[in-house]
Amino acid sequence: MTGIATAVDIALNSLVLGGVFLIVAIGLNIIYGLSRVMNLAHGSLFAIGAYTGYTLVASGLNFFVALLITPIIAGFVGLILERMIIAPMRKRSMIYTLILTYGLMFFLDGMIKQTWGNEPRFIELPIFMGETLSILGTHYPVFRLVTLAITAVVMIALMLFLNKTRLGIILRAASTIPEMVSCLGFNMNYVHIGAFVLGSALAGVAGIIAGPLTTIDPLMGHEMLISSFVVIVIGGLGSLRGAVYAAILIGVVQTLAEFFITDLAMVIVYMMMAVILAFRPLGLLGEGKFE
Amino acid sequence: MEKTPRVLEVEDLHTYYGESYVIQGLSLFVEAHEAVSILGRNGVGKTTTLRSVMGLTPPRSGKVTIAGEDTTGWPAHRISGLGVAYVPAERHIFPGLSVEENLKLAARPGKNSNPWTLERVYEHFPVLADRTSQDGATLSGGEQQMLAIGRALISNPDIVILDEPSQGLSPLLVDTVTEIVQNFCVKSGITLLVVEQNYRMALKVASRHYLMSTKGKIAGVATTRELMDDQQIIQDHLAV
Repeated sequence: MTGIATAVDIALNSLVLGGVFLIVAIGLNIIYGLSRVMNLAHGSLFAIGAYTGYTLVASGLNFFVALLITPIIAGFVGLILERMIIAPMRKRSMIYTLILTYGLMFFLDGMIKQTWGNEPRFIELPIFMGETLSILGTHYPVFRLVTLAITAVVMIALMLFLNKTRLGIILRAASTIPEMVSCLGFNMNYVHIGAFVLGSALAGVAGIIAGPLTTIDPLMGHEMLISSFVVIVIGGLGSLRGAVYAAILIGVVQTLAEFFITDLAMVIVYMMMAVILAFRPLGLLGEGKFE
Repeated sequence: MEKTPRVLEVEDLHTYYGESYVIQGLSLFVEAHEAVSILGRNGVGKTTTLRSVMGLTPPRSGKVTIAGEDTTGWPAHRISGLGVAYVPAERHIFPGLSVEENLKLAARPGKNSNPWTLERVYEHFPVLADRTSQDGATLSGGEQQMLAIGRALISNPDIVILDEPSQGLSPLLVDTVTEIVQNFCVKSGITLLVVEQNYRMALKVASRHYLMSTKGKIAGVATTRELMDDQQIIQDHLAV
C-alpha cells in the first residue's frame, strides 16, 4: 500500500470508529443532561442493540429493516428501566443512581449471557456490503462506508429532532433550566422518560451499526461504556459540539495507536484524557454544569 | 352583591428552604382581577412565598388554594395548568434557545377574543421582534425581562406571578416594565401577584400591598392610597 492509501485507510477508520463512539456518547450525555443520572448500564444497551440486530438479521430480516427496529426495541428497554428502576430513586442523591445503574449493568450482562450465550456472534451483511471500493489506492470495505453514512444520517436526524421539533425544543430547554420547564406546564417526569428512551435508542442503533465492525460478545458494552464516558468527559459534560470533536479525536487516536502499537491503544487514549483534563478540567467545551 | 372570588389564597403557610425555616405562618389572598404586591426588604421570604405558591418549594404545612383547587403539594406543571404564569427574578430565559423558541415553548391558546400570539408579542415588544433568532441568553437584562414577561403573556394566563420585575434594571427600564405590567396585566384583567423591593413600582402596578417583615410574617396590609398618604409605613418597612 502507498502512503496515501494508508492515510486514507486510517482517516476513514477513525471516522467510522469515532462515529460509533459519538452516537453512544451522545445517548449517555442526553440521559445525564436531562435526568442527572450517569447511566453505567448504557454500555449494556449498546450490547443489547448489537445482539438484537444479530437476532433480527439471523432470523432472515434485511439488515436495513433491522436497523430501524433495533433502536425501537432498545428504546423500549430504556423505558422499562427508567420506569421500574431509575424513577423510584430519582429523589435521592446521584450516588444512589450511580450504584444502581452499576448493578443494572451486571444484571443486563447476565441476561445477555443467558439469552445469547458466551460465544461471539457475527451479523451477516447484505452481499453488496461485503465488497470493497477503491478509494485513492486503498480497497475500502463497503460496509464501513455504509456505517459511516448511517452514522451521518443518525446525527442529522438527531439534530433536526432537537432543533426543529417541539419535543426537541422542550428537551433542550430542560437540559438548561428544568425548573422553568415545569413552570411552563411540562411534566418533567415525561422529560426524564423521553431522555432514557432517546438515549437508549441511540445506544441500540450504535450497537447494530458496530455489530459488523467487531465481534459481538457479552462484554462489548463495558469497553464502549468507558470509551463513551471518555468522549463526554473530554468533550465536556452537556456539550454536544464538544462530544463531536472528542469522538473524532478519540477515533483518530485509537485508530493510529492500533496501527502502530496495538496493545497500548487504550492507554494512549487515557493518557490523552488525563492531559486534556489537567488543562481543561471541564473538558474541551464543558459548560461546568456539574451538580 | 356577589362577593369577588379569591383566585389565590394562602393560609398559615410554613416553608423551609433546606434547613432554614423561612416562612413561619403566612396568610394572604388575591381576588380575581386584583393586583396585589408583597413588599419587603431583602431576605424576608418573598421569593420563597412565590416558590411555595408555584409548587417549586412545597410548604411543610399550610394550604394554598388556586382557582378553587387545593393545590398544596402540587407540582409546578399542574399549577401552571390552572392558568398561572410565573416570572422568576432571574427571568430564567433558556440559554441555547432562540427568542422565538423561548416564546413558542410557553404559547397556549387563549380564551378571550384578543389572545396573545407570537405576532401580538412581537407587535408590543419590538425589541424581541428584532431578535427572533438570537440566543435568549445573549439578550441584555432589560431585553430578557421583556422576553420573560412576553413568555408569561403568550401562555394566556389568568394569574401572573412576578418576582422582582425591577431587579437589575435601569430606572428608565423600570418605567418601561411598569408600563407593560400596567397595560397588559392590570388593565386587561389578569390577576397579578408581584413581589418587589422597589415600592415606587409596586405602588404603580398594584392596588393592595402586603408588608412583609422577617420570616414571612405579614406586618400589615395597605391600599395604595393609604401608603401614599402615610409615607411612614413605607419608611418603617422598606427603608434600608
